[in-house]
Amino acid sequence: MSEVLRTQALCKRFGGVVVANRIDLTLNGGQIVGLIGPNGAGKTSLFNLISGAIPADSGSVMLNGAAIGNLPMHSRARLGISRSWQHNRLFPSLTVLDNLLLAERRRGELRDVAATRERAMAQLEKVRMTHAAHRLPPELSYGKQKLISLARVLMNDGNCLLLDEPMAGVEGPAYDSIRAVVRNEAAAGRAVCVVEHNISFIKDLCDLAVFMFAGRIIQTGPIDEMMRSPELTELYFGA
Amino acid sequence: MFDRGILLQVLWTSLATASFQVLLTIAFALILKVTKIWNFTQPALMGVAFYAMYVALNWWGAPLPVAILVGFLATAALGLVIECVGFSTLRARGSESITFFIFTLIFAQFVIYVLTLAFTTEPVFMLANMMSPTMLVGDVVVSTWDLHSILIAASLTIALLLFLRFTRTGQYMIAVADNADLAEVYGISKAQSYALAMLIAAIFITAAMYVFGSKLAVYPELTLHMMIFAVVSTILGGIDRVFAAAAAALGINLLQQLSVLVMDSRWQPLIVFSILFIAIVFFPRGIRLPARRVADGRAGTPVLDKAAE
Amino acid sequence: MEFVGSILIQIGIFTILATSFNLIIGYGGLMSIAHPIFFALGAYGSGLLTQATGVPVFAGIAFGMALATVASVALALPSLRVSGDYLVIASIGFQLGLLQIIKNSEWSGGPGGLSNIPPLLHAVGPAAIWSYVAIVGFAAIASILIVRWLVSGDYGRAITAMRDDEEAFKGLGHDAVRLKLVLFGIGSGLAGLAGGLYGHYFLFVTPEQFEILYSAAMLTMVVVGGIRTVWGPALGAVLLQFLPQAINFLKLPSSVTGPLQGILFTGLVLLFLFLRPHGLLGRAPGARAVVQEDDPTEASVK
Repeated sequence: MSEVLRTQALCKRFGGVVVANRIDLTLNGGQIVGLIGPNGAGKTSLFNLISGAIPADSGSVMLNGAAIGNLPMHSRARLGISRSWQHNRLFPSLTVLDNLLLAERRRGELRDVAATRERAMAQLEKVRMTHAAHRLPPELSYGKQKLISLARVLMNDGNCLLLDEPMAGVEGPAYDSIRAVVRNEAAAGRAVCVVEHNISFIKDLCDLAVFMFAGRIIQTGPIDEMMRSPELTELYFGA
Repeated sequence: MFDRGILLQVLWTSLATASFQVLLTIAFALILKVTKIWNFTQPALMGVAFYAMYVALNWWGAPLPVAILVGFLATAALGLVIECVGFSTLRARGSESITFFIFTLIFAQFVIYVLTLAFTTEPVFMLANMMSPTMLVGDVVVSTWDLHSILIAASLTIALLLFLRFTRTGQYMIAVADNADLAEVYGISKAQSYALAMLIAAIFITAAMYVFGSKLAVYPELTLHMMIFAVVSTILGGIDRVFAAAAAALGINLLQQLSVLVMDSRWQPLIVFSILFIAIVFFPRGIRLPARRVADGRAGTPVLDKAAE
Repeated sequence: MEFVGSILIQIGIFTILATSFNLIIGYGGLMSIAHPIFFALGAYGSGLLTQATGVPVFAGIAFGMALATVASVALALPSLRVSGDYLVIASIGFQLGLLQIIKNSEWSGGPGGLSNIPPLLHAVGPAAIWSYVAIVGFAAIASILIVRWLVSGDYGRAITAMRDDEEAFKGLGHDAVRLKLVLFGIGSGLAGLAGGLYGHYFLFVTPEQFEILYSAAMLTMVVVGGIRTVWGPALGAVLLQFLPQAINFLKLPSSVTGPLQGILFTGLVLLFLFLRPHGLLGRAPGARAVVQEDDPTEASVK
């Protein structure tokens, strides 16, 4: 298992609110890490810091051993950090297929148009949404948009996947679908980090859980152990 | 290098002439802080303030206090139309920031054209008698206008400071400026704060145009050029920092006044433009003193942010 | 005859201006008030170069375009690194400031303007006028086709995505600033082309022709014709050419026609902005219904 992503002493505050307090997180290839914690713990903010959506106040972010903390978001995405958003954020004016085509990060001569199209359809196939390729996202239900946004994340073909609540709004066979997809991506050697409130999903899928609260990592370990801790349960469900 | 007397005179004059710049800057910066809108309709408000006072004084023969009141009422009325009809419609539609820019800039030009139609491009003086008594204080010539302007600017600025800090309504306005939606959760009305900010801006704009108009001639398009000063000061002071913007206005005005000692006065307006570009390139988030640097990570520009997470 | 030719040439030039302005504000989502200044850079740049060095007019026009493009990138690069809002402000400063310099400098002819600009065509009479109409017409169609090409295909997909959600767009690895710079540079370069064609036809330009009024006029053409449509600005340019003509027919003194024109242009923008934001050719944004899927082969989702 090789180290793909590492943050060291990552800090961020907005005015009086500390959203990241010396965060040390390591994501290894082939491993699925679950980021849990109550609302406001700073989980999505951490994704924002890693992906470059917001600049950190201090600390470092290393991808495959190289420092990327000074790079803008689009550069980090080109290097292989691929993230999904809490609210999908598919482009409403473009078809599903076009949404995926835009996620191709190889540019110029390296890009083979036909091959890209094929790859896009292959990602849609993974989430069983090929029939929606020519639809516009607003025509589809929230859950389906979730599946498509997962397909778009995979399109990046990068080795660091950050999935923000991939299961929200999804149930039944789609749940199995997503679980299988995420497992496969990890098995292929990618580092996967998932923010989820669905504890059974975390238990099902994640090798490791990281508990965050008020911008700090409180504990790291198997989810079962964490669920047995009264202190963490109290923090999670609130005092 | 320069005569001490001349230097002191320039310093004094720049302080006096900065008065209307400070007032206009505060008006612009306050609206930006509270509503997060770059209020490029300000030239329209400035024009209406001046010409309303001009009409009251010269066409109706009203006494000065009445004329100033008329000026304020006209400006406030227009301001409320802009806020409650213009801005609120665009907000309700979830319009992009470009739509706000188009609206504000075009609206300003619309009003300027109407004023040009009514009053022509001829510069006019507001008061029949523009002479202001002067006295000598040491080496410096001090005029009554100087003292009035500084007094008006200083008292209004202090009044605003006290209002924002010590009154509940002022605190509400700050809360809305910080996080409008959160403020609403606590029962503070966004709409009222926006309207109030516009009213306060109308006070400052009317005062500024009175001060300016009692010394210099005005023509409709002048207000558009004057606005640039307020914009640059706001950027240099740091978006969200109204009184720092006012301080920046003082500084820029001083630089402008000092520049006549070294260059042809026709290039003087370019000082402001040059500072604008320097500000954008080097100080887009305002000049911040190192000791007070707090990386707050807030987006540098308060663009209307519908997808804010 | 010459009058009709002149009108057609003006329509052609304003079509180029409106189309290129639409590329910047409609497709790029960038507000800039400085389009008239790039128009001016094209006219003055080309006029001064051809006057001073005697190079062929086509080369002068190419120079004018290049000047406008370079200036626009110099303006936009530091501004866009911060945000689009700063571009608005910088463009206001640039428009007012550069015009001030032109009015106060000797090399530009000062407030009196630049005269004796070498003509593009040395012939005179109807043949020359109609040739010029053809040249401007060709340039106008070419501008529209360039914009059409840019906004379809890969580029068009990227532009649409950037307009829809810039942050998600950047999250996919796209450099939004660079895309905006490209659109701004091309749009301004085309304005420079319009300026060159304008200067070498009328042979005389004054600073008044590049005032902020013209940014309102161009905005009117774009907003009325249809923002973010390929042919809307051209329609706007045609329609709005007749507005000043209609006003001129009233034979009012110039102190009245000037502001009246301005009131009409700005009034129209405000009207359309609030009542019909998609313009004459644009489609009103419709509500899209969520379609129920009954495909048994797919995963079931809420």
